[in-house]
Amino acid sequence: MQSLFLIFTVFIAAITCNNTSYGQQSTRIDSEILFVRRIAPLLREKCLGCHGNNPQEIEGSLDVRSLAGLFAGGDSSEPSIVTGKPDKSPLYLAATRNSDDWSEMPPKEAEQLSAEQLTWLREWITSGAQWPSKPQQETIQKKFAEAWSLEDGIPVGTSGGLSPEWTDRKYDPAGLWAYQPVTKVAIKGTRNPIDVLIEQELPTGLTLAPRADRRTLIRRATFDLTGLPPLPQEVEAFVNDARADNIAFSHVVDRLLASPHYGERMAQHWLDVVRYADSSGFANDYERGNAWRYRDYVVRSFNEDKQYDQFVREQIAGDELDANDPEMIVATGFLRMGPWELTGMEVAKIARQRFLDDVTNSVGETFLAHSLQCARCHDHKFDPVPTQDYYSIQAVFSTTQMAERKASFLDDENTSGFEEQSYLRKLQQSHQQSLAELDRVLLVNAQRWYRDKGTSPAAWDEAIKNFNASGRTVGIFNAARSALRAAGLEQKDYPPKLVDFTPAQFGRERIARKGLQRLGWQFDRYKPYALSVYNGRTKSVTSVMAPIRIPGNRLKSGDLEQTAILTGGDPFSPGPPVSPGILSVINDQLSATISDSIEGRRTGFANWVAAAANPLTTRAIANRLWLWHFGEAIAGNPNNFGSTGKKPTHPQLLDWLASTLVEDNWSIKATHRRIMMSNTYCRSSHHPDPKALRELDPQGNRYTVFKPRRLTAEELRDSMLAVTEELNPTLGGIPCRPEINVEVAMQPRQVMGTFAAAWVPNPNPTQRHRRSIYILKLRGMPHPMLEVFNTPAPDFSCERRTASTVTPQVFSLFNGHNTHTRALTLAALALKESGNDRDAIKRCFQLALSREPSPQELKEFLTHWREIEKALPEKAPTHATPPLEVVREAVEENTGERFTFTEPLYSNADFVPDLQPADVNRHTRALSDLCLVIFNSNEFVYIY
Amino acid sequence: MPHVNRRESLFRLGTSLGSLAFTSLLSDEVRSKEKLGPLAPRDGHFPSKATNCIFLVMEGGPSHVDTFDPKPALEKLHLTELTRGGEQKSAMESGKRYYVQSPFKFKKHGKSGADMSDNWRHLSAVADDLCFFRGCQVDSVNHPTAMYQMNCGNRFGGDPGIGAWVTYGLGTVNQNLPGFVVLPEVSYPQGGAPNWSNGYLPAFYQGTPLRPTGSPILDLSPPAGVTAERQRMNLDLLTAFNAGHAAQHPQHAELAARLENYELAFRMQTEVPKAIDFSDESEKTLSKYGVGKAETDSFGRKCLLARKMVEKGVRFVQLFKGTWDSHDYIERAHGNLIESVDQPIAALIQDLKARGLLETTLIVWCGEFGRTPDNGLRGGIAYGRDHNPNAMTIWMAGGGCNAGHTIGATDETGMTAVENVHHVRDFHVTLLKLLGLDDNKLTYYHAGRFKQLSQFGGKVIEDLIA
Repeated sequence: MQSLFLIFTVFIAAITCNNTSYGQQSTRIDSEILFVRRIAPLLREKCLGCHGNNPQEIEGSLDVRSLAGLFAGGDSSEPSIVTGKPDKSPLYLAATRNSDDWSEMPPKEAEQLSAEQLTWLREWITSGAQWPSKPQQETIQKKFAEAWSLEDGIPVGTSGGLSPEWTDRKYDPAGLWAYQPVTKVAIKGTRNPIDVLIEQELPTGLTLAPRADRRTLIRRATFDLTGLPPLPQEVEAFVNDARADNIAFSHVVDRLLASPHYGERMAQHWLDVVRYADSSGFANDYERGNAWRYRDYVVRSFNEDKQYDQFVREQIAGDELDANDPEMIVATGFLRMGPWELTGMEVAKIARQRFLDDVTNSVGETFLAHSLQCARCHDHKFDPVPTQDYYSIQAVFSTTQMAERKASFLDDENTSGFEEQSYLRKLQQSHQQSLAELDRVLLVNAQRWYRDKGTSPAAWDEAIKNFNASGRTVGIFNAARSALRAAGLEQKDYPPKLVDFTPAQFGRERIARKGLQRLGWQFDRYKPYALSVYNGRTKSVTSVMAPIRIPGNRLKSGDLEQTAILTGGDPFSPGPPVSPGILSVINDQLSATISDSIEGRRTGFANWVAAAANPLTTRAIANRLWLWHFGEAIAGNPNNFGSTGKKPTHPQLLDWLASTLVEDNWSIKATHRRIMMSNTYCRSSHHPDPKALRELDPQGNRYTVFKPRRLTAEELRDSMLAVTEELNPTLGGIPCRPEINVEVAMQPRQVMGTFAAAWVPNPNPTQRHRRSIYILKLRGMPHPMLEVFNTPAPDFSCERRTASTVTPQVFSLFNGHNTHTRALTLAALALKESGNDRDAIKRCFQLALSREPSPQELKEFLTHWREIEKALPEKAPTHATPPLEVVREAVEENTGERFTFTEPLYSNADFVPDLQPADVNRHTRALSDLCLVIFNSNEFVYIY
Repeated sequence: MPHVNRRESLFRLGTSLGSLAFTSLLSDEVRSKEKLGPLAPRDGHFPSKATNCIFLVMEGGPSHVDTFDPKPALEKLHLTELTRGGEQKSAMESGKRYYVQSPFKFKKHGKSGADMSDNWRHLSAVADDLCFFRGCQVDSVNHPTAMYQMNCGNRFGGDPGIGAWVTYGLGTVNQNLPGFVVLPEVSYPQGGAPNWSNGYLPAFYQGTPLRPTGSPILDLSPPAGVTAERQRMNLDLLTAFNAGHAAQHPQHAELAARLENYELAFRMQTEVPKAIDFSDESEKTLSKYGVGKAETDSFGRKCLLARKMVEKGVRFVQLFKGTWDSHDYIERAHGNLIESVDQPIAALIQDLKARGLLETTLIVWCGEFGRTPDNGLRGGIAYGRDHNPNAMTIWMAGGGCNAGHTIGATDETGMTAVENVHHVRDFHVTLLKLLGLDDNKLTYYHAGRFKQLSQFGGKVIEDLIA
């Protein structure tokens, strides 16, 4: 406000000196200036959207395009303004949002006027609500251009918006931090620069927590880098390492970075961001048989410490970089991560546009920390991202087509377990058999149809005879219908489709027919194909019901898409055409010329994204890496560096990390090492002065203390398996199916026109007990335990995991079969490895908590053990064998009638169960209750 | 209530290790936090009649022209050809298409003269309690995207469900039951669990499905052989063990919340089976809902359960009934489906009314879209209908809706809404308003902007409100 008044004063002085004709009317002039300066833009931003931009649809009949409109008022017929009296002016009252008579405007709370804006409005009405003529507005604008410009913030050059107002608008520099070149501050001395940069931002009087003890630190580091608990011997080795703390710890860090499990842990973070799933979502939720190869590519890339810039290039344009290298084809799976399908019920062009919008936004969020979708329908409301840029980036992908592409298996891909196909083959045969049986039913029904109709089946019988003679054994009924139709018979003269089916037959037919379709996607899993893309023209298709292969005439057949700015994001309202391009706001630092031929667009774009000088890319990854260690990012919204995202708490540190990452040849592992070797990372989670901490660091972002975190869902499941020594450490490969709640496994899951197959667990424990990253991830059926522990759904990119505490977590962890089985296995293991009960309890503590129990804890646990053992019956209930088939009840779509169907569960015949209560004695079963308590304890689920 | 239980459990700890630390953890800070917890009941933005909502989703897209929106013009047009075209047409609309008349007869019911097909033998008795809306349109012709739009506001999934928004806005009364309960069929609807997701809202607001078979809530009970006594013993050991841990980590505030969560779960474990137990319901009530009768048993149970949930203070109950996707044999399929829901829904309305709960309970009946007046000639005799995003019938009852009125209208054949036409976002805004919530205030910051159920804001359809 002060500056505004200052300008007034200056202006009035100027007017008085230079133009006497205005001299006597300073109030009127004030009001006019205020209008040009503040009120016109305010009306444009807050009101015109509903009150004038579209003259055909004016809300409440209030037109704010002119003073006359304001005076005329809206439906109430009361003038919106009472000159000189803001408190009687509905326009002002509505904007204050606390009037009894006028509803709040603008309606959205997020768009309400700031206190400063309200003062302008008030001032304008008080000073006479002047609305100068166009020429007068221009005169005023010109006169003050320079002064106002200084005051307004800075202009930002872009490719330009849809309106000159947008193009010329000014930005608060604070919201533009991410577009500035990355600058690395020079750090003097030999201290770790991270510590220097953290400590220079410390509030005065706030002390630092001491270094965490070694037991805590190795647990923290091991979970951070591998997602697994340390082995007891690893803990003891580190605790007893006589070398200095930092030297001993650096050996731990190096060992962990070299662990193959490091790649799995980092891949999990990455897959959260890119929305990895093994199915397509929506109506059919078809399995994406080949998605696992992209997942493993990510694991491999982290394990190899692939240069990050290369990692970026491969995911955007691997197929263009080297079409002969399967790894490069697999890498572009990134572009396919969004949910997508095309059924016959959707308009093909809309489905295509969904893919393009998805991929445009995804590259923005993932690599550039910009959620570009905000600019799909209009220029970005807050950030210098014009809608032109959105479609320029989209044009990069307008020749990108989806395909499951041939890519032979690499030596370092895990191709074991493919024999599970045999179960699918059995299912395939069962479906084929069903269809054959139903075909015979139809042929019988057809005869009855002719009899009932009283017409001769001669033509029909002839057709059947011909098919039989030709050796055809399947689909004879349908073939005969087609033959008669082709022979020119009218539809009423041959049997209708699925003639006289019962509801159960209708149901079975769909299940078999669509089941075969679904199997087509599943069989792709074992073939050398990759979820990928190719360049070419856009072919006209009406539905996609099987994996897509590259067509032979990709460059010639179909439309060459010309990307255009889509009005309102609508693919049927193309506006001006655009060429492939980049985010223009950083054009002055890093520009790119991207080819507009069919091939090579993505390479040009990827090179721009992955350039060392791209400040968005380098900051985005440095920021994520920090988040992955501290649970908080430096800039709090890792997918959004725009002005609505959280500003960096330590901008110099972020830049230091970003530039150092580039200097380290984009080595992610080097960055981990730098972060983890800092004192900042190694601090205890106990602050010596909690009161000062609360008062001086209320936001909790000064890093004087290490923030504890709850294990993620995957870590929790994997840790239990690791502790019981059941975890299968094999890397990569086709997805696994652990046992889940039977209610979910057997739940008939409705997909288009039919039901998805039941979840049948892998028969062997080693297959089931793989790390959670390998669990088959279906969009329509989240894993029940992982879901309740906040594994994100793969619909939106997850920039940061949450860890809410909700009751279903208790049910899952305290009552669930998984924890009970793990507890039993741990109990059996501990007893096997120990000579007595005390040692058994100690062993459980060592394995699960990386420590010994205190004498008091030991006493409590022993007592509990005895009490439970007393309460337990001698014999445990014997375990049931898994069913070989499931009978399901459903409502048939054609008839609305209930029907049941039987689904065979072939692999259950070979099912080998985990350890069961009946397999062990009462003593072991009682100990398993202690193990259950340990797995549920806060100490087990939190990392300090 | 919760406090007393917690104290009891606390006393049961006796002299276990760390019990002192545990006591100190249950300081005023924790208690006040609990009061202000994410599910604590709170006032909406407006005064409203409705405090609870029962949302009946007829998945698959019920045909408005065969249920509540009669089109006599179709009788004349029956089996005459209709040509549709345009670039925006899907494969579903290809081939020759013919108008199809409704196989059902219609009558007007109640003082309000509500149109209903004759199959609604029970619902017609409460015709004056219903407010029909014929002006709603949606964007998608495909099931899951339309389901997501109806249930979550956004076609592409991943957004919070309506029930999540409502519990986010109003909290819930009974802290021992979930605030947002879903009663799915044995087979989940198209699009699956994301239809009742908490989306980007905190996980507290996620819909909890009560399954019709197996454990109503997953893992609600421990495995067979684990008695309640043994579980309590284990829980006490866990509490003591956690208390010792908390004593060593006094600065870690989340520990107390997680500990409290175990006690809450233990209470729910006994509360939920009670809440879903029908043994305290009279034979008369059961038969009124059609429980025990083959055609109506499944949905009757859901409707009765919905009433019990609302009675016990659950904020939002969502019921699913599929599949109304009658591309063929509309008479048989819709006939059977109407029969399966007619009596249970009528019983629900009457029962709530008798208990004085209808005023405070808003009931909504809708599909994800309506159906077309025409069909491709499929197999010569199969009269069905395709998906229609441009016209549908939604009705509401109770909770301050404009009962006894039919709002909006479709054209002569039911192809498209022509009067009081509103995008579904306006319906959502109206629904929230009836529950005392302002869509423009009920926002959550996610991915760079404040998001809301209506996506970008909408208008209240005043005619739907009494």
